[in-house]
Amino acid sequence: MFGKGLVKGMQITWKEFWAPKATIQYPEHQNPIPDRFHGRFVLDLNNCIACGMCANACPNKVISLRKQKVGTKQFLTNYVMNIQYCMFCGLCVESCPKDALHFSKVINMNQYFYNNIPLVLVQREAPAEPVEKEKPAAKPTSQPKADKSAPTAKSEVAASKASDKEGE
Amino acid sequence: MIRTQEYNLNFGPQHPSTHGVFRLLLTLDGERVVKAEPICGYLHRGIEKLAESRTYTQIIPYTDRMDYLAAMLQNWGYVMAVEKLMGVEVPEKAEYMRVISGELSRLASHLIAIGTYSLDIGAFTGFLLAFRERETTMDLLEELTGSRMTLSFARIGGVAADAPEGWLDKVDKFMDKLPDCIDEYDGLITGNEIFQARTRDVGVLKPETAINYSISGPTLRGSGVDYDLRKAKPYGIYDRFDFEVPLGKNGDCFDRFDCRMREMRQIIRIVKQAIEQIKEIDGPVIAKVPKVLKPPKGDAYEEIETSKGIIGYYVVSDGSTKPYRVHVRRPSFINLGYLDEMLRGYLVADVVAILGSIDIMLGEVDC
Repeated sequence: MFGKGLVKGMQITWKEFWAPKATIQYPEHQNPIPDRFHGRFVLDLNNCIACGMCANACPNKVISLRKQKVGTKQFLTNYVMNIQYCMFCGLCVESCPKDALHFSKVINMNQYFYNNIPLVLVQREAPAEPVEKEKPAAKPTSQPKADKSAPTAKSEVAASKASDKEGE
Repeated sequence: MIRTQEYNLNFGPQHPSTHGVFRLLLTLDGERVVKAEPICGYLHRGIEKLAESRTYTQIIPYTDRMDYLAAMLQNWGYVMAVEKLMGVEVPEKAEYMRVISGELSRLASHLIAIGTYSLDIGAFTGFLLAFRERETTMDLLEELTGSRMTLSFARIGGVAADAPEGWLDKVDKFMDKLPDCIDEYDGLITGNEIFQARTRDVGVLKPETAINYSISGPTLRGSGVDYDLRKAKPYGIYDRFDFEVPLGKNGDCFDRFDCRMREMRQIIRIVKQAIEQIKEIDGPVIAKVPKVLKPPKGDAYEEIETSKGIIGYYVVSDGSTKPYRVHVRRPSFINLGYLDEMLRGYLVADVVAILGSIDIMLGEVDC
């Protein structure tokens, strides 16, 4: 019979009309965010060894980090993510050997000004004391050297290294 | 007799019925289509070229961006090609995880295909109901991978992570619920007389022509050609599952739509079997692969059945950490090839119906 399908469709529509709403009123109510959600990044500084594996793993070269040698350890002075290019694929988090880089559940990363977009996870000065404590005698000779090498070490960003390779 | 004149009409690039940015230059005689020229490239990002300057693992997120409605299937095709190149054996559990997440991706893609198709025809409720279930599918995928659409879940040698606790039961529960939902769409869209009048005997694709034009996926099977790679050339572990390949009869828009509808019921069957079988398997979800991948010199081609058709990845290695060349056989692009002849002689209103029934994905067409 012609029109049977239309009537059935109307019945379904009528049934759905009385069914509980599938949508939620977003800003007031939110769906729970799963644990594995790819939100804003968090860097655990206690675990980070500034190896730069995350910067190398990134397909879009989002991560740039600067490090300085303090004593025998590498000290992370600067860790910036150009989050506007980030695909949130999670390869950086996966590549971290010390499990220092994490996703959080923060979804709102909007910024009003363009300059504020890069996600600055670390920005600090390297402590100068451990160098003095360990090598007090070699201080006068090594200090100028360290000063000279500091800017080069700074520019030796893992991400820019990768981009140099690509340019070849 | 009044002298008439043909004229051109631009359909798109910003037209909601093109499902993306796709331009169709129609030459019309009154309301009948005389010629249709598909013009694509509005979403071209050069993924194949980008792949040449990325390492093998870094390409995976880019493959997501091709068919972003069924991202896992794109990942899967690519990693299979690289695994073939490297000779990596994938752990059994990873294969099952790929099947489950891949079939969920296919479900998400089909739900969009039928939902937006009913919207193209003019049925708004069907669209909303399809999106309701798609939301649940994406919630499940989000819980598994962390992303909703661009999953980047497959890894060379396996998958990124094991299923979280209780996830498989959630999927199982959803699969129990889904048949009722599909019945609802059937009642609302498939059985609707107006919908049938709009789609039956419109845009007929003959089986021989479909084969000649290398058309694949539900578009091919709607014409009655029984060719599903999961059955014809089982990759992964698809030979372990019991499912049917739905076929159409006439090759018109309705059959193509109906094929997707019935394919969704087969997805339920596959996922249910996979969940049953994965529970008995213990082991890693990723094979032991080196951190820096350096496949030997050579090339590999691997193809899988995605929601749109057969996607093939051709990867050429020169022995370095980056591929020399990656080429993708994109089903949406190839399915578009017959569009011109398919549209000829039909009314402008049918253009939307025919284009929607092919279910193109512009990210894939333009790559």
